[in-house]
Amino acid sequence: MMHIGTGLVCGTKIKDMVQAGFHFIIFLADWHSMINNKFGGDMEKIETAGEYFKHCFTALGLTEDKVEYIWASELASKPNYWERVIRIAKTITAQRAMRALPIMGRDLKTQDVETASLFYPCMQAADIFEMSLDVACAGIDQRKAHVLAREAGEKLRWRKPVALHTPMLMGLAGIQGSDKGNYDEDPKLSGVIAAKMSKSKPENTILLHDSPELIEEKLRKAYCPPKIVEGNPVIEYYRLLAFPANKTVVLKRDQKYGGDLEFSSFRELEEAYKSEKIHPQDLKVNMARILADMLRRVRGYFDKHPEPLEQMRNIEAR
Amino acid sequence: MSRETRLELVTRGTVEIIQPAELQRVLEEKKKPRAYWGFECSGKQLR
Repeated sequence: MMHIGTGLVCGTKIKDMVQAGFHFIIFLADWHSMINNKFGGDMEKIETAGEYFKHCFTALGLTEDKVEYIWASELASKPNYWERVIRIAKTITAQRAMRALPIMGRDLKTQDVETASLFYPCMQAADIFEMSLDVACAGIDQRKAHVLAREAGEKLRWRKPVALHTPMLMGLAGIQGSDKGNYDEDPKLSGVIAAKMSKSKPENTILLHDSPELIEEKLRKAYCPPKIVEGNPVIEYYRLLAFPANKTVVLKRDQKYGGDLEFSSFRELEEAYKSEKIHPQDLKVNMARILADMLRRVRGYFDKHPEPLEQMRNIEAR
Repeated sequence: MSRETRLELVTRGTVEIIQPAELQRVLEEKKKPRAYWGFECSGKQLR
């Protein structure tokens, strides 16, 4: 199921791009999912999941009049697509392609991989050229694919894309709850990727479909040490979700604890938290309310269109 | 929309642009540049 890292961080950035006049393509990477053995590589289930993704983005306001949806299998059925993949593969060594595999969520140390995996970064680069893109957007965990595409572009004299990278949204367990995997030569970036919301267990993530009550329950258990902002996922959600979407953020509090607080920038809130003017509990409960508000339209959409969500639940359960 | 406004919209909330000067050129030269975001169609683990 889609989590708020994908829905809200990517969704918001895509809206910015559309507003700035971009022709924006949401690319449903069915082939890549098959290579990455999602749903055991079952293409039918992958298509179902792709349709569901399309509904999620539509529910978030990215309707077909604003963005274009393209399936990887549409591109791959074009006669020149695989030639492009091979031309790119000829510009990079197998070792280099191996080192790019953290883009598929693999640990850098993984040695025993299917040969098909080595096509993954080459296809990701080929997609960019095949769609004549000016800008390739992704979370920072995809930077290796984009760097590779740019280098291949230079070697092949194809117009190389600008790469735009967004932060990873931390899981509810924060930095301390992340796995110990190695996802990049840069230890700091590796840590960021290891702590991302999608990386670990379901209780570490907030889904687009979670009820306001469940969101609150999950947030109550979130890692949120007093005064500390580093590695604190709750404060991160204010920075990456609440402030970009709102001019001011109000923390509602009981009168006996000092009443409501209003902040017009993340820095103000951060400073107040560091100096213990905000209790972790207030930070959590208010974030739960803000998220439930941001996800209201998604809940409304799926109340009206329950089938794609039910189908997704069915294939995930198996 | 002014070029500055477009640039601000595109860059806000990002951690890295490779390269900012190239992005500026794209915005200068094109009214409707092309961009994408790719998603694996998966359930429990997403990229």
